[in-house]
Amino acid sequence: MSEAGSLLDELRALEREAQDAIAGTSDPAALERVRIAFLGRREGRVSRILRQLGGIRPEARPAVGAEANRVKQVLRGALEERERHFAHERADTGTPALDLTLPGRDRWRGARHPVTRVVDEICDIFARLGFTRARGPEAETEWYNFVALNTPLDHPAADEQDTLYLKGGGLLRSHTSPVQIRILEEYRPPVRILAPGPAYRRDTWDATHAPAFFQIEGLAVDEGITFVDFKATLSEFARRFWGPGTRVRFRPSYFPFTEPSAEVDVKRRVVGADGDVAETAWLEIMGAGMVDPAVLENVGIDPERYSGWAFGMGPARIAMIKYGITDIRTLYENDIRFLSQFA
Amino acid sequence: MNVSRRWLQAVAPGLDLGAGEIASRLAMLGAPVEGVTDLTAGIAGVVIGRVERVRRHPNADRLTVCEVDGGNGAVQVVCGAPNVRAGACYPFVPVGARLPGNVRIKRVRIRGQESRGMLCSARELGLGTDHRGILELAGQFDPGSPFAPTVGLDDHRLDIEVSPNRGDLLSHVGVARELVGEGGIRLADLPGTIEHELAVRTGSPAVEGAGVRVRIDDPRQCWRYMAAVVSGVRVGPSPEWLASRLRAAGAHPINNVVDATNYVLLELGQPLHAFDLARVAGPEIVVRGARQGETVRTLDGEQRKLDEGMLLICDPGEALAIAGVMGGSESEIGEGTTDVLLECALFNPKGVRAARRALGMSTDASHRFERGVDPAGLERAIRRAVSIIVATAGGEPAPTLLDVCPRPWRAPVVMLRPERVEQLLGVRFEADDIVDLLEPLGYRCGPAAGAIKVTIPGHRSYDTLREVDLIEEIARAHGYDRFPDSMGAFRPGTVPDDPLLRLHDRLRTTLVGRGFLEAHTTAFAPADEGEVEVLNPVSAEESHLRRTVLFGLLHAVEHNFARGASDIRLFDMGAVFGAGGSGGSPRETNRLAVALTGRRRPRHWSVEDRPWDEWELRGLAEELVAVVLPGECSVEPGTFDSTFFEEGCEFLLRAADGSVVGGAGKVRADRVSAPVRAGPVWGLELELGDGARGRPDPAFRPLPAFPAVERDLALLIPDSLPARRVLEFLENGGGRDLVGVSVFDLFRGGDVPGTHRSVGFRLRYQSGRRTLTDSAVDRAVRRLVHRLKEEFGVEPRVGATGPGR
Repeated sequence: MSEAGSLLDELRALEREAQDAIAGTSDPAALERVRIAFLGRREGRVSRILRQLGGIRPEARPAVGAEANRVKQVLRGALEERERHFAHERADTGTPALDLTLPGRDRWRGARHPVTRVVDEICDIFARLGFTRARGPEAETEWYNFVALNTPLDHPAADEQDTLYLKGGGLLRSHTSPVQIRILEEYRPPVRILAPGPAYRRDTWDATHAPAFFQIEGLAVDEGITFVDFKATLSEFARRFWGPGTRVRFRPSYFPFTEPSAEVDVKRRVVGADGDVAETAWLEIMGAGMVDPAVLENVGIDPERYSGWAFGMGPARIAMIKYGITDIRTLYENDIRFLSQFA
Repeated sequence: MNVSRRWLQAVAPGLDLGAGEIASRLAMLGAPVEGVTDLTAGIAGVVIGRVERVRRHPNADRLTVCEVDGGNGAVQVVCGAPNVRAGACYPFVPVGARLPGNVRIKRVRIRGQESRGMLCSARELGLGTDHRGILELAGQFDPGSPFAPTVGLDDHRLDIEVSPNRGDLLSHVGVARELVGEGGIRLADLPGTIEHELAVRTGSPAVEGAGVRVRIDDPRQCWRYMAAVVSGVRVGPSPEWLASRLRAAGAHPINNVVDATNYVLLELGQPLHAFDLARVAGPEIVVRGARQGETVRTLDGEQRKLDEGMLLICDPGEALAIAGVMGGSESEIGEGTTDVLLECALFNPKGVRAARRALGMSTDASHRFERGVDPAGLERAIRRAVSIIVATAGGEPAPTLLDVCPRPWRAPVVMLRPERVEQLLGVRFEADDIVDLLEPLGYRCGPAAGAIKVTIPGHRSYDTLREVDLIEEIARAHGYDRFPDSMGAFRPGTVPDDPLLRLHDRLRTTLVGRGFLEAHTTAFAPADEGEVEVLNPVSAEESHLRRTVLFGLLHAVEHNFARGASDIRLFDMGAVFGAGGSGGSPRETNRLAVALTGRRRPRHWSVEDRPWDEWELRGLAEELVAVVLPGECSVEPGTFDSTFFEEGCEFLLRAADGSVVGGAGKVRADRVSAPVRAGPVWGLELELGDGARGRPDPAFRPLPAFPAVERDLALLIPDSLPARRVLEFLENGGGRDLVGVSVFDLFRGGDVPGTHRSVGFRLRYQSGRRTLTDSAVDRAVRRLVHRLKEEFGVEPRVGATGPGR
């Protein structure tokens, strides 16, 4: 009993001594010497005390052992704290061993094209409204590009799109609307699709025109689809895409393959640097309308039973508005200083 | 279509709106206004000045020195006009204000006399051609009040975008009808005009009267031809009211007869043509198709070759005009004209369109005929034109109006079901509401069983012929913005998400994650880069459709090289075109291309810069091919496209069936113009198919329960033997427990013979049933070495075989 008691006293004295020694160290090397002196596995003073356990009564051993472990824990904590103190000191004195303020090893950052970003965002919004994506050929026929879309070639409406024709027959589609026909030929309603892809017109390059440009076609055909659905769905899209508080306006317009037809404009709310909320001017974002019954008839769908709506949007123009790009040619130069801004 | 605000208000007296308000109303009716021009903006600084006193200029006979009150007390002005007099009011430009053309008026001395301002003529203000003197204003005004609004000269020109179905909006009356409804239109009497007593003589195919004969030979192309004769005219400049109206609508005054026809064109939308009757043989008008080889000199001075069948207005001998397109110079109205034959006709829109396209021209007349001219409006138009000509050019109208009408017009009737309106628009309209919306637009509604019987007016008889067209009119008249905005339930569609677009997503994610920038190149290429030719290209650089996507990417690499870049990583996905698709159309497939050059990573002081090389390219190719054709593809050396890649540094990408799906390699130096600092450019082109190849779900394999043992084996492989064959031998012939073979070293020199290289393979052995002992693995390696020697004559590099890391 007395042996055990003296060992416990010894341990507590050693704890105090070690604490003082730790606090008195002035550099990491001295601290390491203190650590070895007290906690070293062979010659450390705590270990030496533990080695005397064998000499005391077995029933007293657990108490001494537990106390020894407690002292070890305390001292380890004190050592770590002192170590941290030295580390801070090093940083404060400005003579770092390892300067972690330098930049890390960078990687090249990739980026989607800004037009792809817009296309993806539009498709994501419509995906939540039940739309899947569809595709059609870019080299088309007059039937799909014009005639099936209720655009006779001898009508001035065909002039609106100056078309590029191909030697050997066919043409480059002047809009993505031929996908409407191809999808309605292959699938029965309900149809809810978006068709993103390039379209082509005989335009010379300037700040607002490109002979090749992206378009997104949208098409919904089912029983009971009305002008109210049309307005509601496109308004919902516009608010999700352009942000809450966006106003949406539908103006009458003309497209041979929709009736009634509309231009859709949005007025965005923008918060300025000073926190003031302002509204933009009306921005034209798409042409749209209820699918003309003649189009449905052309693909063998009964227009008395089914109705639908469709739209065509220019993601390049939208990207220009969204990112503040002023010249459409910037989108096709593929200058990496431009493209990497979208990383 | 250019419209004058004042002219609109003249035909729609109730239209009490400013130009901006008119523009926004029209936009919401489907005729957006692209621009509004304030026609008096250039003379905004001009005020009314009253001349208080006039005295002779002491040093010049023709000049006077006036005291002018321009609102701020009298100032001295030197004036050269003969008609200046004290007490009268004139347009006055004070010092500091501007004249049209941005001429700023300054304080000057004229022959020793100070002049502080300027009294103006009509021409100086851009208001006409009169320059005989300054513009004296009738009546008394407050000096200093703004000139244009005070005298009622202010006007705006609205540039309206008219869609091709709305030919009826190509006139002031048509635009006004949209704004105020049919009932609000009044054709005001014009200065000096009177209603003439003219009797219409109708017939077909020919009518005689007024001393002329008119005959239609082609009633398919000419539906109606009205003619009038005015004798004894004096051709000269138009009066100011007529000229200024035309100018306000953007037209140039020519002479009083031609201006009268243009006035009616702009007001009513009916094109008219005036012939010098003396130049019409007979006089007889024959409307017929052109004969082979026939030509006519048109008003613009061009000698036009005519296609056979093109509709002409002729006398018995030769062609006078191209019907609905342009008149001929032979019968043009000139100063010597005394008798005028006025044409007011209705031509087949398709014929006019075909003719003007064949001739490569478009005129105000053809633009309107193509889009449809009101078949019920001819008589009103020709009567108005006769009145204006007589009022402005004098003369006497012949009492008979000729009307050759082989195809009398009857108003179409369309049945409109109110429940169909609701089915399409989603809102219920009562029959009375429908009538109230349609009738102001000129439609006449009557009852019918379960429907409304709608009679279509002439001006909408080209584009509103179906029930759905009327439903659009209802929506438009009601106002699109008044429809509710409530989304209903929808059924899921039957169309699956397109697999190729999904593949695009996956490839984009892979490449963007690897630091590549997505480029957008177009499908156009010059002749040597494409097989499919564009018939009407914009430029030679865009005369064909590309056969590769890589071509455009290399162009983009050059663009970036030229702007100082040397680290470039680009990709693009798109269609390429080849000759010989089905049905004459090109074969169109979808591809991915990648181009890269420069360093693998951004510079960092801690590591050495390393450029892209063939192994990075091959690794990238293997990764991409695995995305496109999972688990069934290979990459091997081979020639894909020697026009792109350097010989001997090129890979072929193959599908499981052995077909080539792409290639990759070091781009030939002559393919890319690169600056000296640039490193090699690497490229890849990969066929994507339709993306329909499914991605199999990964099949789970149980994790190994026993440890693996590795052995390194360095083999001396002769240069004649591709290392791939040894690798495949090891992979396929190493026994069940050899679960992995990788190449960890390639070494030449030292003790390795010059015709050989040492390739280090790391062999990984692992059994699913037991822990492999060292001795068992060593035995297996020895067996392999023995078989390699038998198979290829390949020896291990002495002292280089040992346990793995």
